[in-house]
Amino acid sequence: MHGFQIWLFRTFLAMKWVKPFMTSKWGWPFCETVHFLGLSLLMGTIGMFDLRLLGMGKRVPLGALHKLVPWGVAGYILALLTGIMFLGTEPDQYLFNTAFHLKILFMTMAGLNVATFYLGVFRRVKLVGSGEDAERSAKWIGALSLFLWTGVIVFGRMLTFYRPPDCGSEATTFVLTCIPLR
Amino acid sequence: MHPFFVWLEATSLSTWIRESTSVWAFPTILSVHTVGMGFVAGLNAAVALRILGFAPAVPLLELRRFLPVMWIGFWANAVSGVLLLIGYPTKAFTNPVFYLKLTFIALALLVLGSIMRSVFGDKSLDLNPATRKNRTLAWWSLACWTGAITAGRLLAYTYSHLTSKQ
Repeated sequence: MHGFQIWLFRTFLAMKWVKPFMTSKWGWPFCETVHFLGLSLLMGTIGMFDLRLLGMGKRVPLGALHKLVPWGVAGYILALLTGIMFLGTEPDQYLFNTAFHLKILFMTMAGLNVATFYLGVFRRVKLVGSGEDAERSAKWIGALSLFLWTGVIVFGRMLTFYRPPDCGSEATTFVLTCIPLR
Repeated sequence: MHPFFVWLEATSLSTWIRESTSVWAFPTILSVHTVGMGFVAGLNAAVALRILGFAPAVPLLELRRFLPVMWIGFWANAVSGVLLLIGYPTKAFTNPVFYLKLTFIALALLVLGSIMRSVFGDKSLDLNPATRKNRTLAWWSLACWTGAITAGRLLAYTYSHLTSKQ
């Protein structure tokens, strides 16, 4: 695991082309802004779909509301690309950060939740019409989606407060949570 | 520096928000503020996109059922915003960008009020293409929330005094 983290660190560090832009006066703030606009678009459109799955705004047919999901995906892509820019600039601030590990864990679970939705219940959910209830398993997926994306935002905000220290000489845990001295 | 900032920063609540190492202090307040932002700006954007003609089979009037969630997000952000302000009054009030952010939020709320009257108040608009006026309102809504988020993000990079002592 430590080897994998070091490999990731070297890989992101090799993204040298992002550095001049990200370390310019407005590069980092610009990416932060896009990151936050992206997350809002994701929370608004996917969150609305999740809330409808749970029974809110029941007069909205789910197939019709699903047409807003591409906007959520667009928001996700904006956040992902800017996120990669942050990683390419300061990889050690993320790869050895406990909050980042939890954020990635929640993103992975949210991704699996999306996969479960589309491989499982989607073909029935898109037929749920005006005034009808989504099936129970779809409601669970919706609730889980709201919980997991909220968690992704929270752990994103916790990044600053879990800045990894430099590693001392003592043995570390399974996942490195300190910056190995280079 | 204004004596009010000096006084406020010396209160125990302000000091706790600013200096506590507890995860329940600054990190949690900031997290609430960001999750709230996602729901407030995001749900407003979803309504605006529908007005602009995306997802045309969604009955527009029914989207008002999601507004209570938007308002929960809004009040969560008003409270967490005031707490952040209590923690760093000098930082915010001496930064013109902070007033810009508040202006964008005030404008966004006015636009939302207008949307509630002219979109949610008109039953004939449910599935019909939105009027030119409502499209304009939708664009204004998107622009104001984008402005509020941008100004909010830039607060971290544009302040001149962190506290009254600095």
